Amino acid sequence: MNEPVLNLTHIVKNFGQFRAVDDVSLSIPRGSIYGFLGPNGAGKTTTIRMILEIIKPSSGSISVLSTDSALKVRNRIGYLPEEKGLYKKMKVWAVIQYFAMLKGMDKQTAKTRAWELLEKYGLKDFGEAKVESLSKGMGQKVQVLAAVAHEPELVILDEPFSGLDPVNQTVLEELIKDMADNGQTIIFSTHVMQHAERLCDHILLISGGKKIFDGTLTEAKAGIPRRVILETSGDTQTIEQLDGVISVKPAEQNSAQDAATEWLVEIGEDVNPQDVLRHCFEAGISLNRFEFSEPSLHDVFVHLVGDEAREHSAR
Amino acid sequence: MNMIRLIAWREYMENVRTKGFWVTILIIPLIFIGMYFLQSALSNATPSRYFILIDQSGQYEDAVAVAIEREHQRRILQEFVNYLMENRKKTDLELTAANASNAADQLVDDVDADEVAALDQWLENGGLDYAVAMASPYLRDDIEPFEQPGPQFIAVDLPADVDAKATPEEIVTALRPYLTDEQEISLGSESGSLFALILIPENIDGDIARPGAMPAAPGTNRGVQYWARNLTDSRLPDAIIRSINAEIRESEYANLGVNTELVRNVQRTRMPISQLDPSAAAGEEMVSVADTFRQFAPIGFVYLMFISLMQNVQYLLSNTIEEKSNRIIEVLLASVTADELMMGKLVGIGMAGLTTIGTWLLSFFVFISLYSTAQTELITQVLEVILGSDLIPWFVFYYFAGYALYSGVFLAIGSLCNTLKEAQALMTPMIVIQIIPIAMMAFVVMDPNNTIVRTMSWFPLFTPYLMMNRAAADPPLFDVVGTTILLVASILLVLWLSGKVFKQGVLRTGQPPRVVELWKLLSAKA
Repeated sequence: MNEPVLNLTHIVKNFGQFRAVDDVSLSIPRGSIYGFLGPNGAGKTTTIRMILEIIKPSSGSISVLSTDSALKVRNRIGYLPEEKGLYKKMKVWAVIQYFAMLKGMDKQTAKTRAWELLEKYGLKDFGEAKVESLSKGMGQKVQVLAAVAHEPELVILDEPFSGLDPVNQTVLEELIKDMADNGQTIIFSTHVMQHAERLCDHILLISGGKKIFDGTLTEAKAGIPRRVILETSGDTQTIEQLDGVISVKPAEQNSAQDAATEWLVEIGEDVNPQDVLRHCFEAGISLNRFEFSEPSLHDVFVHLVGDEAREHSAR
Repeated sequence: MNMIRLIAWREYMENVRTKGFWVTILIIPLIFIGMYFLQSALSNATPSRYFILIDQSGQYEDAVAVAIEREHQRRILQEFVNYLMENRKKTDLELTAANASNAADQLVDDVDADEVAALDQWLENGGLDYAVAMASPYLRDDIEPFEQPGPQFIAVDLPADVDAKATPEEIVTALRPYLTDEQEISLGSESGSLFALILIPENIDGDIARPGAMPAAPGTNRGVQYWARNLTDSRLPDAIIRSINAEIRESEYANLGVNTELVRNVQRTRMPISQLDPSAAAGEEMVSVADTFRQFAPIGFVYLMFISLMQNVQYLLSNTIEEKSNRIIEVLLASVTADELMMGKLVGIGMAGLTTIGTWLLSFFVFISLYSTAQTELITQVLEVILGSDLIPWFVFYYFAGYALYSGVFLAIGSLCNTLKEAQALMTPMIVIQIIPIAMMAFVVMDPNNTIVRTMSWFPLFTPYLMMNRAAADPPLFDVVGTTILLVASILLVLWLSGKVFKQGVLRTGQPPRVVELWKLLSAKA
């Protein structure tokens, strides 16, 4: 139980001159939902492909399910690649059955399982349809089902939410939670933070091939300053002098001409936000709004990789 | 192994389920059957041709009439021989000129050997009535009586307003509207289109060409004038000129005091030729029709191989590219090894190819067993000869070898390309290479151990085609063993190399690689 499902040790992958993954080490505990987060081109897909041994790392070592090669345990792994596609001419249930059989399931069990999954996740009516007749989102759901039909111990989903509407995103989240409840380990990559926030207990943040952070969600949030949002027309200068207040800045959405009415107050980890509120009363600053919220994963992401991500997209 | 079977089965089913697959399968037999029926329909459907004969010299009218009648009799003879072949008690491909055992077979063989002589004999013996009486003991009992074809060329009278004594120019001018179908010629109560005008001018004898005479100035209408718009059906002018020539020669002989009866007998004298096969056992050296077929059969096999291989590799390519462009390949590679995937594909598509060939053969058998005539009976016997010969094992071997070799190459191409369009550019040289032995196949059959052919047989991409092509001629053992070893070695090499390219190529995106990159792929450690 305590043995990690996956261990990456100093993984490097070069494509010619380009270093796609740069010295990433990682350990994924059994039964966790692990999010690979990072901007586009960060090296998430490359890392996943190396885990599955579709490509080999230039250096470093990988151990999957206590073996040195994913190929040896490939029947215990389920994989949904980033770019989605299925055999267009096949029937929906047959596709799921086929991929389950490729993972070693016998024909009859695979068929039963395919229909079971289709029913459970609302696709029963499309079971006999051909894949080409499905919408993109539905096709993607089918593909997720095909990837996990053989009940793998380790499920790796590369960008599973992209292209799904909100309703189906929720269905997929449920599927992931169901699998986690079932004791399966799930790794998924995304650049949409909300999903990771709702689902993950651990995350890996990666940017430009380098690991920025890995650990639990709580640890990730602890690493960035907490913030209070104030809305007032009064003078906020005195707040800055308070103990534990790091900075007071106008919130970004203020238009340039108007005097700032919304302020962002960053406070230290051990500061009680109530102290800021009390000061406002005492100093006679009248507040239209006072808001304190725990930082979101989005904040964490922007805080940790924001500049770098912008740099990447500008290139 | 299980995975290979699973992949192969899916590939097979996927192809077999497509409409295109069945279209290809059905279209070839349909074309053949259609062509067969069309041909017999066309030959029976040639309409009666009406012609006008004006003999101003008054010498050759009879000769022309004889020519037309002779042409008609020739047609009856041919039809009757077909009828005989269709309905005689036993058709035997092993039959040769020397061993024809009865009068009916003799007639068939005579027509085959020398139609002119056979026709003379036919007319001399009294034509159809005699032939029917002669052949009837050798025919099956349950057959329909022979139906004589109607005359094809029918003489009609000159229209009343045209003067047969006018100058040729005037006659032609008067008849031109009929010849160009602007006007129909009257045939008693009906009317029809005039096919030809045969005009023999008065002073025709002045135009007779003799050896040593000066050739005529171009542009002058000399001799018999044959006016017709149809330039392809030359039976009528041929028959007429043959007959007139015979007439002229006869009178020349007479003028020279030669006995024409003697001449004709001399002309009908002929020497038979026996084709003998030195490699056959004593007493069986006589080359029969069956032997000839056996010699030519490789052409059919080579062609079958070509069509089937082209179809297979096409599937292989498009399936691989579909998986690549859909990125299914990534899921597959997370489940099976690249080698398993490749082998599964090769086996699956190969089975689809065998299904095609099997269906073709089956529909062929069904056709000839349901529809039996002289020709199809011939085909049945040809098939028996071929199936009984040692060509089948050769075909099976070279088919699989060719498939393994070419599909290996095409699979590598498919793994490097993202779209069929890209693949087409890489495919073209491979197709051109296959066209070379296909274009050569008729020559190879005639001269199978020619030095150029022997040399080219050693090129592995040609080996399956050329060696199959040469198979019936018992190629030297050295060639057979040598090319086979080379072929098998190159199959292994190609499969190994394309396995490497496949592994590297399937996950590639973007343009197909340049040569340098390809070399890197091949030399990369997988």
